[in-house]
Amino acid sequence: MNRPVQALTTGSAALSALLLRVADGDTAAFQTFYDRTSAKLFGVILRILNERQESEDVLQDVYLSIWRKAATFDPSKASPITWAATIARNRAIDRLRARPPRAHVPVEAAFDLADDGPAQDAGLLHGDDVRRLTAALASLEPRHAAAIRACYFDGVTYDELATREQVPVGTLKSWVRRGLIRMRGALEGSEA
Amino acid sequence: MSQSPEQYGLDGLNEVEALAMDYALGGGSRAERKAAELRLLSDHDFRAAVERWQLLLSPLDDTTPGIAPPPSVWAAIAADVTPQPRRAAAPAQLASGRAGWWDNLNLWRILGLGGPVLAAVAVALLVQPGSTGPAVPAIVAGGPALVATLADAEGRPLMAAAYDPASGQVRFAPVAGGSDAATGKVPELWVIEGQNPPRSLGVIDIAAARSQIIPRDRLAGLKPGAVLAISIEPTGGSPTGAPTGPVIATGKLAAA
Repeated sequence: MNRPVQALTTGSAALSALLLRVADGDTAAFQTFYDRTSAKLFGVILRILNERQESEDVLQDVYLSIWRKAATFDPSKASPITWAATIARNRAIDRLRARPPRAHVPVEAAFDLADDGPAQDAGLLHGDDVRRLTAALASLEPRHAAAIRACYFDGVTYDELATREQVPVGTLKSWVRRGLIRMRGALEGSEA
Repeated sequence: MSQSPEQYGLDGLNEVEALAMDYALGGGSRAERKAAELRLLSDHDFRAAVERWQLLLSPLDDTTPGIAPPPSVWAAIAADVTPQPRRAAAPAQLASGRAGWWDNLNLWRILGLGGPVLAAVAVALLVQPGSTGPAVPAIVAGGPALVATLADAEGRPLMAAAYDPASGQVRFAPVAGGSDAATGKVPELWVIEGQNPPRSLGVIDIAAARSQIIPRDRLAGLKPGAVLAISIEPTGGSPTGAPTGPVIATGKLAAA
């Protein structure tokens, strides 16, 4: 777990360098980037969509976006994996929203999933931030934390969650907002 | 942006921060997310706020197990990707940096689907009367005004749009003769106000040789800060009441 910062920096820098070549139309660099990041992105997408074929379609779509948008990647704003995972999450959630309504996994199941611990290829992101953020999340009211997890990991809407929790949607949003403000405070406080 | 947080019950966040957080977390409805995505293209502050929340939340991705996709996925991607020299000059230079959506090159690439003319449509929203680009009719004299020019990739104006607060109308006028727009596709104008879903202002007949006027009732309450967007829709307009096709341009309404 105590991954040296150097390793992280090197990994991020290597991925950034690959994206630079991808922006120049270098398909070999693109394949290397895919090999290093696709399991992470597929995990994010599959967790939201929970359906394999659809997730594969979205993954393909996401990498075609990465291919086209590589030139717009700004390493000063985010790490390459954060940038790519954000595209994947948003695309998966958009796909989920375009589905006809159907049953989702209950919040409790989402809660369990989130407690599986770091993935095999964890370390693409900063280990300290992961610990701080998950600790801050774990310190929230359980229902509030579960709502945040259900939104972020499973793409569940505020409306669905409010129905499930039998609270007004305004209350649900308030849980989430106050929770995220506390998580932000925990991260900022630890940087000072 | 200056409303008091209490007014909206946003738990101490201002409107931009709250909407940005909603988008980054992903809890919004389809319409709310669509509205946020359009706003991202034109509202620099909003985009910066979204990026901050995304960055803050991104360590959570580390707790999601990685799962190797089957080899067929890469095979399909590789088949779609061919080595090629990429574009040389970014269109961002055209807009002096004030309109963030110019940076979204994907927007312009999407247009490859839109046909020979629409494929290259660009819109510039200008906020000062009198400082408009070439061939924009001087419809508006005095008072807060909004003028837009739609030009193709070579900068040739295709049509002009002007919002006249005196009459409460937006006018569109073709400034280039004729059009070979993709058949079966029309541009549709939308306005996004606050966190409401995009509201249609109607389709724009780009091939018509006359000015078009958007009904006054659709423009009621149009204020600075609202975002205008143009998407490509089937003839007759979006069948769903929300944008369904590629969004080719957006810009924020600002008082001159």
